[in-house]
Amino acid sequence: MRTVTGWALSVLGVLVAVAGVALMVLLGPDSRISTGPHAIETDDIAVVTSPQVIRWADVQVDVLVEVPVRKPVFVGIGNAVDVQNYVAKVQRLEVTSFSRPWRLRTRAVEGQPNLPGAPTAIDWWIDSSAGLGGASISARLPDETVSIAVLSVGSSNLAGLEVTLAYGVKGGFAKGISALLLGLAALWLGVMVLRSRWADDDWDDGEDDEIDGAGTLEVEEVVYVYVDDDGVEHEITAEEAAELEVVEEVADDAGAAGPSASDEPSVPTVPQVVVPGVPTAAEIAAESARTADPRGDAPPTAEPERVVYVFVDEDGTEHEVGEDELDEFEVVDDDLDDADDPDAKERP
Amino acid sequence: MRRTVLALVCSLTLSACAVPHARDDVRLDKAAASRAEVDEVLDEYREVRESAVELLDPKPLSTVEQGAVLAIDTGSFEVLQRSATAQKGDDTGRGEVTDVEVPRFAKYPLWFYAVVRDAKLGINRVQVFERTSSVDPWVLTASPETLDKTELPPIRRSQGAALRVPADDGVGMAMSPQKAAQAYAAVLADPKAPGADAIADDSFIQQMRSTAETNAALKDVRFSQAWEAQDVQYALRTSDGGALAFVTLLRTDTYAVDDGLTVTWPEGTPQRAFLSAGISGSGTLTYLHQVLLYLPGGDGPPRALGQYGGVVSGEGDQGAVR
Repeated sequence: MRTVTGWALSVLGVLVAVAGVALMVLLGPDSRISTGPHAIETDDIAVVTSPQVIRWADVQVDVLVEVPVRKPVFVGIGNAVDVQNYVAKVQRLEVTSFSRPWRLRTRAVEGQPNLPGAPTAIDWWIDSSAGLGGASISARLPDETVSIAVLSVGSSNLAGLEVTLAYGVKGGFAKGISALLLGLAALWLGVMVLRSRWADDDWDDGEDDEIDGAGTLEVEEVVYVYVDDDGVEHEITAEEAAELEVVEEVADDAGAAGPSASDEPSVPTVPQVVVPGVPTAAEIAAESARTADPRGDAPPTAEPERVVYVFVDEDGTEHEVGEDELDEFEVVDDDLDDADDPDAKERP
Repeated sequence: MRRTVLALVCSLTLSACAVPHARDDVRLDKAAASRAEVDEVLDEYREVRESAVELLDPKPLSTVEQGAVLAIDTGSFEVLQRSATAQKGDDTGRGEVTDVEVPRFAKYPLWFYAVVRDAKLGINRVQVFERTSSVDPWVLTASPETLDKTELPPIRRSQGAALRVPADDGVGMAMSPQKAAQAYAAVLADPKAPGADAIADDSFIQQMRSTAETNAALKDVRFSQAWEAQDVQYALRTSDGGALAFVTLLRTDTYAVDDGLTVTWPEGTPQRAFLSAGISGSGTLTYLHQVLLYLPGGDGPPRALGQYGGVVSGEGDQGAVR
């Protein structure tokens, strides 16, 4: 599963990064593609796009219209229902198709030589602008059918009209950078997932390094110790230890019975280094064990049954006697307390 | 690990929200108005209405009203002017907007529906604002009133927009809105008209019949009343498959008075305002009534939920007042 995820993230990251780079290269630092100015031959009062011409949404469109001799001109973008109603009875040039970078098909529509009302007084334009000699709009195309209208204001017409068009994605260059970074991040994440998977495979193959459930890598460490006359241990380097004599090595036996290495925290292996004439820590520990109370934590041992010899005096009082004194006595009765006790003795 | 992947997926999804894309559907289509535009239209109407009331002058209303509702309001303002009665407390423009329904259109005219509750009078004004063309302003074209307790049928929506019903579409109903309007007018004119049983005998019909009977009972006066339904322009689909139609009815009351007699009306009435000298010989009063007609889904008979109307003109032998 992790392998699939890792590869998926990596491939996705590469694709996103490539898309980001492509976006940056295509749009450039200003995030748009420009074309023009292009002349449109007309002496009508309106140039309007048909509803089917603009088929894109969420595209940033900038339109600059220019007319000579500072004639008043208006440019606006609005829902096609509004624009078509507005110019329905107006003599106009209608743009019926557009293809990049700049190829237009137009048709002339007969009608009245004036607009039904001042375009600047209308409230339904999505974006609009008016000026002397030129005007421009900058709008993001909404997810609805829209038309762009270039209109002459007052008694003039649009003779000498030139149009400059730019389209792109607002903040497109920055979005390209973001996509690139995002793609690289996804790629890095995918590689990390794959590497962790490979590391797990290595551990399963018997390598020393281990990644536990929490993802911690455990490394076995060797510590060299020198024990002085007082039995105090001092850590020494491997080079120093090489000059001394290693007399005993205590190693954690992974093959021993009991908890496995993966279940218990690993214990550093401590090779015992002995200076000649100086007792080792193990010897000191053994001596301490010999002098210690045997009743301590030592496990109970089976002792032979102790026989008690008793002398009973004339008053009937019992006196314990030693085994070496037995020959002074004669066993007269071995059944005082226990008739079957063969060791009961009586003083002669 | 899962959180990281989830965050990555969310980031990619969010960054794709504003990605330029081609639109497959390029048909002409537009919601009549946004909610902000609706609020703006209602606010402007309220302001102009208040100005007209304050001046006792119906002229400002022509910038925010049109058609039958303008004729009815102009008539009522003339009544007030001629009777020199200040329209104190008229707050027709005020109220709480309780519902707005905005249909979608492929061409002009555009219109939307708003319900404005007037708690003071205990009524709801069911208003229709229309924009005839792209260069015209929004104007009020219908405003029937219902009682506060009258429950309006819920409007069916599709993709957030109210669904309209063409005037000649009777699918799923006893009849189309246009036929219902014509049948309703016929029943008002003649209770025994063909198809009268297909219309509910509602309170508006009863009230109009009662008024007609009172007028017809005048001695030595021949009274006749005619009703005519105008074309239905506004109808919305209700959630039960029926329709809520705005019907405008033209009512003509004709009086023929015997020689030597004059019919007059009390001071302060609309009839008096239009025919101040009364009627000698013959005379006519014209009314407009905007009726909110509900056509239930299925075979239920159409019935009126509310109305708004009044005198719009009067003519008599002693000279036309308007």
